[in-house]
Amino acid sequence: MSKFIHALPAVALLSSVALGQSPQVGDRHPDFTLPTISDGKPVSLSDYRGKKVLLIQFAAW
Amino acid sequence: MPVWHAAANQWAKDGKVAVLGVTQEQHPERCRLFAQWKGFDWPILHDPINVLESSAVPIVLALDEYGIVRSTRPKPETFEKDFLTKTFDDDAKAKAVRRSPVRPPKFDALKGAATEAKTAAAWREYGDALTLWGGQKKVNDAIAAYTAAAKLDPKNGAASFRLGVCLRKRSETPGREADDFQAAVAAWEAALDIDPNQYIWRRRIQQYGPRLDKPYPFYDWVPEAEADIRKRGETPVPLPVRPGGAEIAKPSKTFEVSAAAAKNPDPDGKVNRDTGAVVAEVVAVPAAVKAGQSVRVHVTFRLTGKPLAHWNNEAEPLRVWVEPPAGVTASERLIEATKPKAATSDEPRTVNFEVQLPKDAAGTVRVPIFALYHVCDDDGGTCRFVRLDATAELKVK
Repeated sequence: MSKFIHALPAVALLSSVALGQSPQVGDRHPDFTLPTISDGKPVSLSDYRGKKVLLIQFAAW
Repeated sequence: MPVWHAAANQWAKDGKVAVLGVTQEQHPERCRLFAQWKGFDWPILHDPINVLESSAVPIVLALDEYGIVRSTRPKPETFEKDFLTKTFDDDAKAKAVRRSPVRPPKFDALKGAATEAKTAAAWREYGDALTLWGGQKKVNDAIAAYTAAAKLDPKNGAASFRLGVCLRKRSETPGREADDFQAAVAAWEAALDIDPNQYIWRRRIQQYGPRLDKPYPFYDWVPEAEADIRKRGETPVPLPVRPGGAEIAKPSKTFEVSAAAAKNPDPDGKVNRDTGAVVAEVVAVPAAVKAGQSVRVHVTFRLTGKPLAHWNNEAEPLRVWVEPPAGVTASERLIEATKPKAATSDEPRTVNFEVQLPKDAAGTVRVPIFALYHVCDDDGGTCRFVRLDATAELKVK
């Protein structure tokens, strides 16, 4: 394994959710970390582990 | 979202569910204004490059305590019975995957990895980290990273889309390069050519495109939102880049031509030419169309600072005259730019109009335009009424 693979962020290789596909019922939702629109601080989906989550993706148009 | 808002707020207050929003927009402030207007008080995350890889919005998902999707189309009226009161097991076999760069990002390590790996995926990963976490000062590096990714893998639509996002972002800053906006449109079109079913990518072009191709007006709600917020005694979230022109234009099923009488304001070309105080940037959206289709033309006028100068807002507004060649139709012939209330200012000024190409158009169609405006030197205050000529070059597929 070359050293660049060690340096890459942790992209798990075993998943039923292929990249580019929307998660389906029964899939574990891919984790992500994004900045908030209010102050830019990072928030991860995994921060909510242990809670039920209503995840809403939208745009203001 | 409004359909979910009241109920979701109550469930969140009761500790039954956490609400998390993700917005796929270029400008986060516009979403902040929308959230302020609608009273959304749950966290909203910004995903301008679509790392979630959604092909359309809105998407509402119900996730259990283990992050497992339990519903992809939950209904507010049955959400409590079908989801909130249920107990779930961690029965998904897959491990958690990650769709965004780790935080905090190690920019140097990611760059080193991309340089060594020479793969589109590695360069895109580096670009994602720079875009999401590097701020404006990393936008040039992000553009270089996505350019490298797109070059290594011309079929990597996400790299092209994200390149477009960064080019558009840079076009709105003092560090812009001359063709950034047009290059952004070209990058978005390249992405859409690869995957025409990607509606997040398609909307980014339509946002700036012609009315015939619009599904809805994108940001026409902004003035109403600001007025409502002020009525509540609050200050609306300020928008550094105000939507205008194409971004508030209503869709149309036919190519509409203004009925207003318009007369060429300088038919003989007698007005003195500007000698460099202002430059015009002309952008066509889409960058290339088929014969017979329409194009939205954006013309932005910027003070060059050579010499230091400002707009004179006490005089008549900047006007643009459009002179379409035979067979080409323009939505308007004479367009006025809006101006601020202050007596002087130095902001960029943009006008939009649309052009419909003839059915036998081929190659490049050139539409001459010129602008007339009042500009004054900062040093000494000498004011001039001058003309600047430009050409909209419309490429036919």
